[in-house]
Amino acid sequence: MPLLLSSHLSGYISWTNQVHGLEPARVIPRMNTEQTADFSDARHAADARLLGLVAAGDSAALGELYDRFSRPLYATAVRILNDPGEAQDIVHDAFVSVWEKAASFETTRGTAFSWVLTLTRNRAIDRLRSRRRRHELLESSALSDLGLDENSSGPAADRAASTSDQATTLRAAVAALPADQQRALKLAFFSGLTQEEIAARLETPLGTIKARIRRGLLKLRDQLANRL
Amino acid sequence: MNAERHEDLAALAALDLLTLAEQAEFTAALAQHPELANLASSLRSTAAEIAHIAPEAEPPADLKIRLLKTIALHASSTREPLDQAPRSSILPFPTWIGFATAACFACLAAYFAQAYFNEGALNSAFRDQQTLADLSLRSAKNQLAAERLITQRELVDAAKRASDSAALISTLESRLAETKQQLFSQGTLADYKIATLASLLGNSPQAVAVAVWNPANQEGVLTVHKLPALAADKDYQLWVVDPQYSIPVDGGVFKVDPTTGEGRLIFHPNRPVQTVAKFAVSLERKGGVPKAEGPMVLIGP
Repeated sequence: MPLLLSSHLSGYISWTNQVHGLEPARVIPRMNTEQTADFSDARHAADARLLGLVAAGDSAALGELYDRFSRPLYATAVRILNDPGEAQDIVHDAFVSVWEKAASFETTRGTAFSWVLTLTRNRAIDRLRSRRRRHELLESSALSDLGLDENSSGPAADRAASTSDQATTLRAAVAALPADQQRALKLAFFSGLTQEEIAARLETPLGTIKARIRRGLLKLRDQLANRL
Repeated sequence: MNAERHEDLAALAALDLLTLAEQAEFTAALAQHPELANLASSLRSTAAEIAHIAPEAEPPADLKIRLLKTIALHASSTREPLDQAPRSSILPFPTWIGFATAACFACLAAYFAQAYFNEGALNSAFRDQQTLADLSLRSAKNQLAAERLITQRELVDAAKRASDSAALISTLESRLAETKQQLFSQGTLADYKIATLASLLGNSPQAVAVAVWNPANQEGVLTVHKLPALAADKDYQLWVVDPQYSIPVDGGVFKVDPTTGEGRLIFHPNRPVQTVAKFAVSLERKGGVPKAEGPMVLIGP
């Protein structure tokens, strides 16, 4: 996806070369659209192949998958729960699930990363909802309570955020979306709120929220395709 | 179902936001339109990329070690080779000792785990109770604050009503004082002189008049009944007899209704009257005269 190969990806490709005899990948500083799209496909294919190895009981492949995915997964869990300790448990349990359920992954339903992310995010959101129910925070919590204040992924957060090419590309693509679509997507992804709760939180009709999510995702998909 | 609706459902599915009804609708749409799966897959993959905008957080190094240990335990318990030789039904003595030790350890672990979870549940219950108590306290404080506001508002209203009442009392007292002043200036009822005038006419003995005199205002009212109708060139004239004057004081002229003989005159004598000895009515030429010339028709008391 990014224009430049990130270090963990190049590391993974060299690992696959050694262990699984895949075609060698060359690290090049800049690629054209076709080359980057091919690379993106190769990356997703490599992820899927690793999952296949995990399904066959290869714990080394699970370790490699952990190295590739753990940072964004852990960052997402921390962002959702605002608690590093709980986030560690979530990531740990998600990878245990990956170990147990890797055979059920289907490449037609999305990338390997999206599948593992779904496992992680759903667990984090379940934990968040359970916590909110217990402390009755849902009614009184503000966006900042959820770690979702307007600036949390803005410039201040960006300084602390990953400077990896992938994150940079993603952040630029999201920043190119209209502000109301960004807000709806961030709430939908990180807050654990339902559609109705998002609509109430933003004081916007439910239909408008659905439209913003749809338009935002479609636009983001196109942006990412153009940037690859 | 249109393409936009499909996109809506696929986008919500990508973020796990579908309601139960929408899930059923989406499943049906997927069955009917297999190409929708591609859209759903691409949107789910796109949505997953949003994870990269989260501020960076590095998982601790020991998390991977913990995970691999868990996996190793998992692998040894759930992924045993299928071609493993069948175990003997009679265990050798050293093996039995190992199992017994493991069983004891497992019992102890279970006991401590239960104690740990009980303690955790108890702590959770205490925390919940404390939360409830805090909520009750906050609710009571809010109620007290609301009651205090209501009481303050009622006090303000009562003060305003008291102020209005005081103003009304002041106004009434002022009016009462004015009325008293007016009454005082007008004189009391006891000072009024009321006199009945009797007829001196042989042809109209039933004629009668009543005069009320207010000495304070030097004003009076004369009401007559059944006086004979007047000729066109004649008027009745009232006279007030005051001993301080040698001749009666002119009280003014009046006419009567020709059919009923009734008439009314509010009179102001043309000279100050100190004491009223009598009232008299005479028949004079039209417009009246300064000194009585015609015949007296009524006199009294």
